[in-house]
Amino acid sequence: MFGLNMGEELRRTLAFSYKNVIMTKRNFFTIFEMLFWPLISLFSIGLMGAYLDIMENKFAFIMIGAIALSVIQLAQLDVTYVLLFDVWSKSLKYTFATPSSFYQMIIGAWFVGILRGFVAFVALSLFSIFIFDFDFTKLPLIDLLLFLFGLFFAAMLIGMAACILMLVFGRRAEISAWTLTAIIMLICGIYYPVSVLPEAARQIALLIPVTHFLEYFRSFYGFPTTLPNPLLVGFAQSVVYFLIGAGMSEWALKRARKNGMIIKLSE
Amino acid sequence: MKAVIGEDIWMSYKTFFGGKKPALEGVSLEIDEGEIFGILGPNAAGKTTLISILSTLLIPDRGRVEVLGMDAFKETKRVKGRINISSGLNLPWSLSVYECLKFFSLAYGIPNSKIDELIESFELSDFRDVEFEELSTGNKQKLSLAKTFINDPELVFLDEPTTGLDPDVARKVRKKILEIHEERNITIVLTTHYMSEAEQLCDRIIFLNRGKIIAEGTQKELKRIIGAKDLITIELTSPPDESILRRVASAKNVYGFDLREDRLVFYVDDSEKRLKEILEILKPSWDKIKRITMEEATLEDVFLGLTKRG
Repeated sequence: MFGLNMGEELRRTLAFSYKNVIMTKRNFFTIFEMLFWPLISLFSIGLMGAYLDIMENKFAFIMIGAIALSVIQLAQLDVTYVLLFDVWSKSLKYTFATPSSFYQMIIGAWFVGILRGFVAFVALSLFSIFIFDFDFTKLPLIDLLLFLFGLFFAAMLIGMAACILMLVFGRRAEISAWTLTAIIMLICGIYYPVSVLPEAARQIALLIPVTHFLEYFRSFYGFPTTLPNPLLVGFAQSVVYFLIGAGMSEWALKRARKNGMIIKLSE
Repeated sequence: MKAVIGEDIWMSYKTFFGGKKPALEGVSLEIDEGEIFGILGPNAAGKTTLISILSTLLIPDRGRVEVLGMDAFKETKRVKGRINISSGLNLPWSLSVYECLKFFSLAYGIPNSKIDELIESFELSDFRDVEFEELSTGNKQKLSLAKTFINDPELVFLDEPTTGLDPDVARKVRKKILEIHEERNITIVLTTHYMSEAEQLCDRIIFLNRGKIIAEGTQKELKRIIGAKDLITIELTSPPDESILRRVASAKNVYGFDLREDRLVFYVDDSEKRLKEILEILKPSWDKIKRITMEEATLEDVFLGLTKRG
């Protein structure tokens, strides 16, 4: 019985991976956003670094930021697409009529986000090695994987937040799918250390897991960490936010069923 | 056993200015297992809101809903696994017929074994790899219905299943609904504003108007409710005087009266008996009479009579 239920739960989660894979395959813009924009972004930032003739370790600093931004944004978009594709197709009510849970939707879509994010990461890494002679994979494999997992975890949290916003505010909140990551990356020190931020922003940055993951990763490139146990703090924060997000999504879903938002988003 | 019990359901939506617009006002209903139950009413009567509540997509402001013996809002996940809904022609646009059914099959947590059977059963074999957005309206509706049966539901909700379809496809869809009902003995709750559809499909019917049930019962019972078994239609060259209209409207044994352009329509208990009385009142306008027809009242006539009263 237990095994059967586990099978059902797994199938429900994979349903959303399946849908996102097909939607990604069929829609050209999703391929474009996976390779075109990240490469353009990395290329322009790399060229700017070369033009400014900045030191090697500072070059590494901004390249790490550029790659991290692309990876997070891509993986986060996939999580958000689980809701957005249905909103655009006006089929959201059918999805919520199934016994699948909100967390299954998020996790199923996240799997595809991890896949797309990883493809983009590999492409960007190869690009940076061949064009700018910057090896993103110098550090031990386990540390690289932990860093990547941290980024993917953060992407899921941002995607989940965007989905919650859409359930609460409707189509007006669609824009959060493309803006949330940018805002967060701005605060968590994408191309600069958080110490350059105003004090209030710096305090906010310390509450964002990505700040800690970037700090950890950059420590391998000659930037001694200024934050204690960045990896541990980053993952601890992520777990706490995940639990808060799970509670918030239950609340948002119940609210959407009470005020008719699911029906409105299906019209 | 009852498939659905709804008690005192109230639902309202917030308006732009912060007020509340009532959608359902104290609706109570019981649906027996295995029956085809119709929810009829004009636009904005509350049909889709009611079906959305019964299928757990909406939580009402007040009221209790029991579906297949379970509390719809406390055991929602279990309820969802045993019901299904078709409401509007919108499914994920980039998915083909097969992919769409596979997605919903997985989302209901069941293996894919039913997909091919459903594709064949709903005559979608030629469109198996066609994306949803490329399908004709009729095939979209067929796919929406096929999806509804993917989890072998005990109860299905069909929201206006033939709206927008051409008459031939609509007839086929109705036939399919009856076939499935007979084969699987499932409970079907459908909304429609086509009276002929309700007459053809439904065992029992409720009429909703402005969020309230104004009548419920079998077709025969409903016709009896307004006392109108028959209809008399008198076509005139021009409308009669106001005074005559007032007199015919208040005549004894005329349960309903309607002036449709130059036609006078009377809802009566017995057309043969009442025709003489009506013609007596219309005596000053005899020269304007073009044609008189007498027929049995349809559900549409009952509906018109009820909404006039409502």
